[in-house]
Amino acid sequence: MSLYLRQVRAIVWKDLLLELRTRERLVAMGAFAVLAGILFDYTLDTTRVQPEDVAAGLIWMTIVFGGLLGIGRTFHLEGQDAALQGVLMSPAPKDAVFFGKTLANFVLLYAVAVLVLGVFTFLFGLEPGGSVWMLLAALALGALGFVALGTLFAAVSSGTRMGETLLPILVFPLLLPMVIWGGVATGRLLDGRPVAEVAASLRLLGAFALVALATGAVLFRFVVED
Amino acid sequence: MSVTDLRRAGTALTALGLLGLAMVYGLSFFWVSTESSQGIVQRIFYVHVPAAWTAFLGFAIAALASGMYLWLRDERFDRTALCAAEGGMVFATIMITTGPLWGRIAWGTYWTREPRLTLTLLMWFIFLGYFLVRRSSDSPERGKRYAAVTAIVGATLIPFIHVSVLWFRSLHPQPVVMRTDGGPALPGDMLALLLTSVAVFTMIFAGLFMLRYALEGLRHQVDMRGRAAAA
Repeated sequence: MSLYLRQVRAIVWKDLLLELRTRERLVAMGAFAVLAGILFDYTLDTTRVQPEDVAAGLIWMTIVFGGLLGIGRTFHLEGQDAALQGVLMSPAPKDAVFFGKTLANFVLLYAVAVLVLGVFTFLFGLEPGGSVWMLLAALALGALGFVALGTLFAAVSSGTRMGETLLPILVFPLLLPMVIWGGVATGRLLDGRPVAEVAASLRLLGAFALVALATGAVLFRFVVED
Repeated sequence: MSVTDLRRAGTALTALGLLGLAMVYGLSFFWVSTESSQGIVQRIFYVHVPAAWTAFLGFAIAALASGMYLWLRDERFDRTALCAAEGGMVFATIMITTGPLWGRIAWGTYWTREPRLTLTLLMWFIFLGYFLVRRSSDSPERGKRYAAVTAIVGATLIPFIHVSVLWFRSLHPQPVVMRTDGGPALPGDMLALLLTSVAVFTMIFAGLFMLRYALEGLRHQVDMRGRAAAA
């Protein structure tokens, strides 16, 4: 394994181990997802709308809100005792640190996304059936683009006085493509439509994730300079 | 160019632009022919379209200058980005207030999930973030870097945002000047007034930009003198 990959793996492992020991972010995001699902369920008047018709959009919004809750704290622990300075002074290049942080966040967010899908399937009586693998793929592609942007801007917002309050303002305008393509793909798959109908959305979600990752990797070094 | 020269040129250009704006208003109310299907409401077009052009010009300059700032670390690029972004915000605000007013009568609705409306609104919020990160950073140098990163990410993802909204059916009229098939589709007098108005709006933008830039230059001087006195 090349040195670069080992450096990325070391960061991922460190972050996941910390999360495994504290379980703070995962518990917060998971509890948020379940509770938001329950509240959303009761906002719908079932004599007017069918829950399964609006489930796809609510799934993505729950992932976005719950995800930001945890991603905003990516650099929180390391802000103490200048631990982040230690990580940045290690021989690992800045983009390796970014990819490591992003991948660790991806693992957390994906776990939450799968939980959200489960919660909505359970509460809204959805029947994913045979399309469940495609649904998981759509969630993965969307989540990847989201964590790439989220991690970059978590670094920005944690360096400001406003902190996590700033994160939604910076990230939400950029998430529109993810919400549109993710929502369309998820909605059609839940509706039992053929995979060919969502292939384009999935490709575009993938392209969005790639551009978000590349932009983050290039710009991260300017955020953590000092 | 010294700060004083810049301020004078900015004042002159802004004054000229404002005169031009009065002329554009006069011409659009009393001279240009009335559009046949929409009637007089279409006249807001001569404000709406030039404002849109100027807003995107400002945001594009801001994103480019932000990239140059991160690359070369020259304060002047950061100042350029800041002043252009402020100009962009002003004209984007004009655009998103005139758009719905026109849309209410022409389309029957203030707001629609229309690609260009959505794009401008999101641009507006991206640059709101640009000013917020700038202001809420403890060290000015850090704020400048954060703001530049925000502008660049916004500019990179804008094509995606645009393509994604294009998926929704569009009510917004297709381009009438820069078309792919042949020349402009506007009658002569309308085209002439539109281009005049675009030139006038660009002039006002350039004038305000120069004034703002001169102000930032003065601020910088005050800052340096303050530091020299403290040392």
